[in-house]
Amino acid sequence: MPDKLCTIHVKTDGIAVLLVAGSTGTTAGELLLSLQSRLATLANDDQIKGVLLTGTPRGFCWCQPAQNSTIHEAARLSSLGQQVMFALEKLGKPCITVIEQSCTDLGFELALASDFIVAAHEASFGFPAIASGLIPFCGGSQRLSRLVGKAKTKELMFTGDTIDGEEAYRIGLVNRLYPTGEALPRAEELLLHICTRSPSAIRIGGEVVNAGYDIDLATACLLERDAFALCFSRFDQREGMQAFLDKRPPQFTGE
Amino acid sequence: MPYKKLRIEIANRVGYVLLDSGARFNKLSITTIRELKRAFTQLDADDSIGAVVLSGYPGESFAVGADIGQMVNFSSPEALHFAELGQSLFDRIESCSKPVIGALNGITMGGGCDLAMSCDFRIARDTLQIAHPGARLGIITGFCGTRKLPRIVGKNFAREIFMSSDAYGAEEALRMGLVDRVCPSEEFWPKVVATAEQIAQHPLSALSATKRLINAAEDTDLRTGCLLEREAATYLNSPFR
Repeated sequence: MPDKLCTIHVKTDGIAVLLVAGSTGTTAGELLLSLQSRLATLANDDQIKGVLLTGTPRGFCWCQPAQNSTIHEAARLSSLGQQVMFALEKLGKPCITVIEQSCTDLGFELALASDFIVAAHEASFGFPAIASGLIPFCGGSQRLSRLVGKAKTKELMFTGDTIDGEEAYRIGLVNRLYPTGEALPRAEELLLHICTRSPSAIRIGGEVVNAGYDIDLATACLLERDAFALCFSRFDQREGMQAFLDKRPPQFTGE
Repeated sequence: MPYKKLRIEIANRVGYVLLDSGARFNKLSITTIRELKRAFTQLDADDSIGAVVLSGYPGESFAVGADIGQMVNFSSPEALHFAELGQSLFDRIESCSKPVIGALNGITMGGGCDLAMSCDFRIARDTLQIAHPGARLGIITGFCGTRKLPRIVGKNFAREIFMSSDAYGAEEALRMGLVDRVCPSEEFWPKVVATAEQIAQHPLSALSATKRLINAAEDTDLRTGCLLEREAATYLNSPFR
């Protein structure tokens, strides 16, 4: 049965907007299952070139805190959450998160698993659930510390305080910062621009960046060498370089 | 054997590797890469210098990627071989016992960006235009950039840079941490020279150990890194060795 926790709106230009509103009555598990099925749709639909992940004016990723669960339930929830975040990382298409409101706890974890975040000044980010004794469970502690460093991550997690868009921009959590109402259109502009680039290079590049980040330099460079060589057996490489030499825009197919 | 694509100058204990292809852009052709490897081997062995500066100064570009005309018809095995050649240069620069300062005098694109990232740190002129335009050409970089850029600027900026393929200016590069310092055009070269000369005054044994330890820190867990540091410090800091 289709649910309204998260919905996909595909535009004519191939951009899909994934609205993850959630609701105050839903559990984190229900929201994650809904997300899981939406991500599968986004990955498998060839008409979709790129994804904007965002909330509604009512909120982003609203759900009940994951309290009062048994040990087994908590482990299962964490396992589901981590699978969903990895599925987002492996989407194979560019995905920008746009935050113009509160982005906390589960929402913050989701944003951290996308390619990067664009925000408005009144955005806020944090893990306030520490006040109830809860910590991130979808990989958020690991992704945040890799992104902004250990000290900043500990400060955010220990205090449970939220930071605004400007502070998030200053510490490198947010790539681009815009006035209210401008973040979504500007992010869409940027995503459309990215979609004129080679889909195959973006997919392979994303995979190599993710795989290479956690291993030693020498092994990562071997992996990259092979992926680089692979590009030269694909249509996009011939087309991209020929277009550059002909001084015309390339017509990539992703093949 | 003389160099065709670069010049080497030595002054006040600093060795300068100055890319000078004779054209507007210093392309990382096979010849240029081989000459750079040779230049770093030469300077590494030269006891009279304590630091190296790599730059395209006073030209318009630092370095750009490979010759697209040459690359467009590469087969996969040729591409693999080319990646290996490039990676062997960056390995040469990183294993050079002397600090290497990247002095980014202008346009720095693709393989040129990877070349800049193999330096120990980067000083940029305010006219810098830096990009990694692989996705515009239908490829990813094969010169270690997919590993190094995310470690230098974080995964999120790295993905934006790779996916957009756009050129970023000096201030943006500084904010992301891609360059460590930006200087106005007229102050750029004096600042590069002053920084390199200051570093070159310090004992080479300490500089080399520092470079090796910091490179190792990226690939080892904290305890192993601390062991390495203890060994190096025990040797270096002992007055009677």
